[in-house]
Amino acid sequence: MLKPILYKEWIKTRWYFLLAILVSIGFTGYSLLRVNRVIGLKGMEHLWQVMLERDVIFIDLQMYIPLIIGILLAIVQFVPEIQQSRLKLTLHLPYPHYRIIAVMLLYGILVLLVCFVFNFIFMSVYFIGILAGELVKHILMTALTWYIAGFTGYLLTAWICLEPTWKRRILNIVIAVCVLRVFFLSAVPEAYNSFLPVLIGYTSLTVLLSMLSVYRFKTGQQD
Amino acid sequence: MIRYSRLLLYFTIVVLLLWILPWMYNFLTARANKTPFTLYSSVIDDYAVLQPSDKGVVRKDLGGNVYSESEFDSILPMFYYRQLIADGRLPERMKGVELNPKVIQTENFIFRHSPDESNRPVIGLYPLLESSSGRVDLVMPEDVFHIDNDCIEFIDIKSNCVDEKKSQLFTKALQKKGFIFPARIIAGNPTTRKDYDEGYLLTDKENNLFHMKQVVGRSFVRKIDIPEGIVINHIFLTEFKNRKILAFLTDKQNRLYVLLTKSYRLISLPVTQFDPTRQSISVIGNLFDWTINISDDNGDEYYAIDARDYGLLKRMERPNNTVSLSEKIGGYIFPVRLTFTSLKDKWVKARFASGGFN
Repeated sequence: MLKPILYKEWIKTRWYFLLAILVSIGFTGYSLLRVNRVIGLKGMEHLWQVMLERDVIFIDLQMYIPLIIGILLAIVQFVPEIQQSRLKLTLHLPYPHYRIIAVMLLYGILVLLVCFVFNFIFMSVYFIGILAGELVKHILMTALTWYIAGFTGYLLTAWICLEPTWKRRILNIVIAVCVLRVFFLSAVPEAYNSFLPVLIGYTSLTVLLSMLSVYRFKTGQQD
Repeated sequence: MIRYSRLLLYFTIVVLLLWILPWMYNFLTARANKTPFTLYSSVIDDYAVLQPSDKGVVRKDLGGNVYSESEFDSILPMFYYRQLIADGRLPERMKGVELNPKVIQTENFIFRHSPDESNRPVIGLYPLLESSSGRVDLVMPEDVFHIDNDCIEFIDIKSNCVDEKKSQLFTKALQKKGFIFPARIIAGNPTTRKDYDEGYLLTDKENNLFHMKQVVGRSFVRKIDIPEGIVINHIFLTEFKNRKILAFLTDKQNRLYVLLTKSYRLISLPVTQFDPTRQSISVIGNLFDWTINISDDNGDEYYAIDARDYGLLKRMERPNNTVSLSEKIGGYIFPVRLTFTSLKDKWVKARFASGGFN
């Protein structure tokens, strides 16, 4: 049963997956081109100096990209399920309901993981070539918070999409916006270092929220 | 599983409410709490205060004497010397010292430090400027250094490779002077926007204090003798115009010291305590006196210090007892609050607070 579910999700999201990869790589590439331009115009010394003196990391442009990719993936994956009443059919399959949803979410997380890891490797390879380890760590640890926000955004949007009633859905949106705000409270590089384990832990737990929406769907809650 | 899902949802709602409601309350009721500008005057041997009031700014001293604007300039001649020169009122001598704009300008300094400058992420790479290039303007170097467990390494910026020769030169120079790797504190001002460069002050694994700089391409390392029992905790290299002071330092007991440039003498300042991770400090100095202001949530402490022998001239406290009604009410409405950011550091993390609302 696992394979057909994964295949169904793949059919649903393959074009979006391609687009997400292209857009995220595009933004990463553009950020790296900007770094290249700074090096070309003002030299490598200037780049290091600006990073050390002014705490600039040159990839701020990517701040909200993982979040947007995560939110849109959840919309692409779960809105058709709700709108075309496919979820009802899915939940009638001879497979534990919550496990079906867990597999769907796992698929989404894997898609995001592939997309984000690809970006991380892209950035790492480029920066390791031109910057000292400390500066590379400085950039990547800062970006890590944004990528975790991408996963959280995905899981919270899935929770919102799966919710059967609009009244509750609006409450969920308000909660999700507040939770996601926590990821963007500071622009100081590496400000989240000590808080990252908490954010990762909480993000992992947010899988449970979608189960609550499915439970409400199963028990017949509707507008 | 649904029980855990519900628990997570309720937990999320409670956490968000603990964060957002007090924030909104504070946002709507907060008011500016301005500390009056206070400076010690060696002319009246008292603190001069600029106190904002409903009728405008009131200039007075602690004895209650009120001054006009020009009188206020006169009792703080080192601070308002430009105004006094413009008015032709700058005294020729003061306390036996001949005054001229150059001397005043050279001896005046302002040093400020707030806790968020100590409590922030550190990259761990430091440019070591050439201290004696023979040129007037300082230039940023083409390499940066970091200190590992067993050596100091200089990384060439262009090639992003370790400069083995320079690294060995400085590692040997440090070891020769008894430096035990790794470094505990690395303090400097790696910028070209200053008059001269004094390199870095370092403490090693055994808490010994060292001065390291680059002089005509060569390493300069000096071990600084500090009295036994003092464990340096924070160092602030000053590089003031007059070149008399190398740094301000604090130890584990939060005692404040000044390190002199030429003699490398460590002098304890008559300040009760200063914790750079929790308190802000400003030091406004001139030829005759320094006014040290140490402030935190409890209020402000002022210490007037003699600029020649670093003895205490006068001390005053201004406790922060102006808790507004809205703050009191806030404390009752929100006995527990959650914040993620703080003015005292640059970290984002969960911090719970209870009691007084400010």
